[in-house]
Amino acid sequence: MHIRAVQNGFVGEVTGIDICKPLTTDDVAAIERGMDQYAVLTFPDQPLTDEQQVAFTENFGELEITLAGQMAKPEERRFQQLELGDISNFNGADTTRLRARDDKRRMYALANRLWHSDASFRAVGAGYTLLHARIVPGKGADTQFADMRAAYDALSEAEKKEVEGLVCEHSIVFSREQIGFGDYNPGHEEHLKPVPHRLVLTHPKTGRKSLYLSSHIGGIVGWPVPEARAFIRDLTEHATQPQFVYSHKWRVGDMVMWDNRTVMHRATRFDDLKEVRDLRRTSLKGVGLEVKQAMAAE
Amino acid sequence: MTLSIRPLTASGFAGEVSGIDLTRPLSPDQVAAIDDGMDRFGVLVFHDQRFDDASQLAFSRNFGDLEVSSGAEMSKAQDRRLPQMEMADISNLDVKGRLRAASDRMRLTALGNRLWHSDASFRAIPAKYSLLSARTVPGTGGNTEFADMRAAYDAVDADMKAEIETLVTEHSNAYSREQIGFMKADYGEENQLKLKPVRHRLVRYDPRTGRRSLYLSAHIGTIVGWPVPEARMLIRDLMEHATQRRFVHAHVWRQWDLVIWDNRTTMHRARRYNDLTDVRDMRRTTIRGDGVTVAQVQEAA
Repeated sequence: MHIRAVQNGFVGEVTGIDICKPLTTDDVAAIERGMDQYAVLTFPDQPLTDEQQVAFTENFGELEITLAGQMAKPEERRFQQLELGDISNFNGADTTRLRARDDKRRMYALANRLWHSDASFRAVGAGYTLLHARIVPGKGADTQFADMRAAYDALSEAEKKEVEGLVCEHSIVFSREQIGFGDYNPGHEEHLKPVPHRLVLTHPKTGRKSLYLSSHIGGIVGWPVPEARAFIRDLTEHATQPQFVYSHKWRVGDMVMWDNRTVMHRATRFDDLKEVRDLRRTSLKGVGLEVKQAMAAE
Repeated sequence: MTLSIRPLTASGFAGEVSGIDLTRPLSPDQVAAIDDGMDRFGVLVFHDQRFDDASQLAFSRNFGDLEVSSGAEMSKAQDRRLPQMEMADISNLDVKGRLRAASDRMRLTALGNRLWHSDASFRAIPAKYSLLSARTVPGTGGNTEFADMRAAYDAVDADMKAEIETLVTEHSNAYSREQIGFMKADYGEENQLKLKPVRHRLVRYDPRTGRRSLYLSAHIGTIVGWPVPEARMLIRDLMEHATQRRFVHAHVWRQWDLVIWDNRTTMHRARRYNDLTDVRDMRRTTIRGDGVTVAQVQEAA
């Protein structure tokens, strides 16, 4: 297995390994070391099936179920296995049709074009996310990644001091309301409740600090809401400057994994009413993120 | 001494003017020279202009009719620090001249000025020039940043130009404030009608210069005929494009600076400062535009 630096210290391309097959413990350890060193790893030309993607993901921890799947009615879902995220523009299980322009699932998914960290609306957040490309459109639809460690490092000492103790409130409602979406199926009030996370994370393995930013943030504990949001906007702008960002142009068979504790990401636009884009997502429950646990440990 | 203008950026956006005292009556030639400078640079910076409110109002009237400040219009008489309705109070001071508290409603709504916007784009006839005079500046921070919407339009790719050419957007003050969690209901019952959205073209054409510009603003809430989330994402993408560093000039304020910008061809935003401890007292006058950018409808909901 070989890792080539695509973007120094942030993105690496992995070759010389077949991740469709079971891995040895040494392979798993090598990939984890790569994730700690880089934060985003790309694996080109990996023709994974859904089962193989799930099996590969299980090497690194406990799979989480996707919120979109969880909150959808069964007939709105493409996959009934909730650990498998449907990142496509198909009309649910009917893959002969694309979602209509005003389809509720399309509106919900548009907010993935805001910079975010997956599942930051959960008390434990997400660890790694793994995204595999099955069908890619002719133009657009890059996924962009921003390095939250480099963004933290680039803060001034005064800014580092200011953000150090802050706790943010995250909810899926906050990211969706930014683009005017609030049409949730009833019965999911528990999933919409804000959860607290520290704004500055210390990675459990590398000890490096990073900004835990996400479009799911709606407030800072103890701050007036407008002041918190203006501040988070400024920080997000700082953290997503071009020097911290990598744009991934998808090819069929690409598997990309990233660490949500150290990376924000977003989707970008494509002609989704005409072209198909079909990606599958698996992700892991976060470790070392829950604010109460972090406070108790101090 | 005659008026001269030095470009402040490599691209020729924003100019620094010297050789003129704006607090004295101007000749028609001087007014024309400033108008020409505005067409060319979009933003003009004048130093050491010791305005009081009366002289700022008099100078501003050289360029057209003045708008009533929306902040003044939406507040009660007993809460206004400045008596003239045409003088917008861009400060962190209350009616008694004290710093506003952290939870002060006026402070929280003013935080919306930290989003990129074009002044009064929430009016059917939006603003032409804004003129901002620095009376007291804070120790650090509080810059105003300007973005060149003509250069930003020029840099849009051909497909996107075709896509946006005829789009019409809806603007309201409520949309910009809602983004930072200051909700429409917080404006009070008496102001709800003033928050009714108005329509504008997304691409403006200036017959004086023959140039097009992106008419973007945090006050935009949707695009006519589009689903709201899709409209907001496109506007966000265009905003990000239009506010790249290469289109932006940051003005660092000195006391007695006067900056004029053209809201038809630029966006701007305020930057953070220690507003709970430092005084920042700026006064703004605003010139009304020449007309609507697109026909209004009775119910532009």
